[in-house]
Amino acid sequence: MAQIQKLNSNGIAVRATQDCADDWSTLLTRVGTQRDRQAFERVFRHFAPLIKGFHHSRSTQALNTEAADELVQEVMLKVWHKAPSFDQSKASASTWIYTIMRNCRIDMLRRNQRHRHREGDIDVADIWDEALENQPLLFLQHKRNERDIADGLSALPAEQSHILEKAYMEGKSHSEISQELRLPLGTVKSRVRLAMKKLQARFVR
Amino acid sequence: MIRHHPDNNLLLEYAAGSLARGPSLVVAAHIQMCADCRSHYHSLNCLGGSLLNQSPAQPLKSKAFECLIARIDQTQEKITDLEKPARQPDLSIKQVPAMEHLPKVLNKLLEKNPSSKWRKASRNLEVCRVRTGQREYEVAFHRLRRGAKLPEHDHRGPEFAVVLNGSFSDHNGIYGPGDFVYREPGQIHRPIATQDQDCLCFSAVAAPVAITGISGLLLNRLIPFRPG
Repeated sequence: MAQIQKLNSNGIAVRATQDCADDWSTLLTRVGTQRDRQAFERVFRHFAPLIKGFHHSRSTQALNTEAADELVQEVMLKVWHKAPSFDQSKASASTWIYTIMRNCRIDMLRRNQRHRHREGDIDVADIWDEALENQPLLFLQHKRNERDIADGLSALPAEQSHILEKAYMEGKSHSEISQELRLPLGTVKSRVRLAMKKLQARFVR
Repeated sequence: MIRHHPDNNLLLEYAAGSLARGPSLVVAAHIQMCADCRSHYHSLNCLGGSLLNQSPAQPLKSKAFECLIARIDQTQEKITDLEKPARQPDLSIKQVPAMEHLPKVLNKLLEKNPSSKWRKASRNLEVCRVRTGQREYEVAFHRLRRGAKLPEHDHRGPEFAVVLNGSFSDHNGIYGPGDFVYREPGQIHRPIATQDQDCLCFSAVAAPVAITGISGLLLNRLIPFRPG
C-alpha cells in the first residue's frame, strides 16, 4: 500500500504508519474543492504509473507504450477537470479513477476505428454514467469493501483471476477471451461466475 | 418489483467496458431503473479499482506531468463552454405518455436522434429506430398495444431488451417495468402485452429477427434489419 505524507491539524507533516489507501480520496477531494495543484501532482505521481501498468506491462500488452502514455494523459486530464464532482462518500479514489480510465479507453478505441458511425453517437459518459444517485457508502465501509475485494482477488485461483484481468485490463469480451485461450465459452463464463461468487461474499450490497 | 436482471457475466463485461455499445445501452437503462444492479455494478467498478491498485507501476514518458499541466492551462477555457446545458430538442417521439419518464441514458440517446419517429410495423406494433453510432446492433423502442400478441419469432443473434412501461409475457415469464430480457438465437418466443396498458420496450438485436409462421413473413418485410 502507498505511503504518503499526512498533515495533522496544524498542517505539520506526520508520517503515516499503516495502510492509508484512502488518503488518496482525501487528496483527490482537495484537488476538486481547492483546485490544489500540489495535491494533484501527488495523485498523478501515484496513479499515472498504475494506469500505464494496467494497460502496458510485462503481463499485459493491451496497448503499446505510446498508446498507454497517451491514455494516461487523457485520463489524468479528465481527473483534473472532473475532480470537483468526486464524492468520497460514493466511491474511493481508485474506483472513481478506474471508471474514468475505462471510459477514456472506450473513447480512444472508438476514435481509432476505421469505420466510425457518427450518427447518434451518444457520449461514453452517458452510457457509463457514474453521476447516478447511488446509496452512499460510509467512508470506512468503502475502505473495508475495497480491501476485502483486493484480498479476495489475490485469493482466487490463477485461472479465475487471469480471466478477470483479461476482461478488465484488455477489455476483452467473454467470447474474445474464449477464442484467445481456446476455451469453450461456457468454461470462461463459469470461471467468471465462480470468481464472482467468491468475491460476492465480500461485496457490500 | 424487478425480477429479471442481467447476469453476472454481462454486468462484468459492462463494468469492464468490453460489452458492445448496443447491449451496453440496454444494460445502462436497466441499471438506472434497478437499485440492486446499480449497487452490484458499483462493486464491479470497485473490482476494477482494486485491479488498478494492483497494477505494476510503469515508468511514464519524460515530463509527463509537465505536459499535462501545459494542456490543463490550455484547455481551462474550453471546458467552461462544454458545461453549458444542452438544448432540449422538441421530440415528436416523446409525445407518447409512457416516454415521459425514461432512464437518463435513453433521454440522452433521444437528444442525439431528433428526427426519430414512431412507425407502424403492424396493427399492434409501433417501432422507433434510433441511431447509436454503431452498426452491429439494431437499437429501437417498441410499443406493443395492450393485449396484443406478436407473431412467434426467433432471433438470429442475441436480443437484449428492457421493459420501460407496461408489461408482456411469453412462455418464460412475465416482464414488467425495469425487467431485463435476454434471448439467445434459437429461443423462439411469442410476447403478449398485458391487458391493462401498452407495453414499451427498448432493445438491441444483433442480427435480423426471423419470424416464424405466415404472419411472420409479412412482419419481417415490415421491419427490415437496419442497424445503426
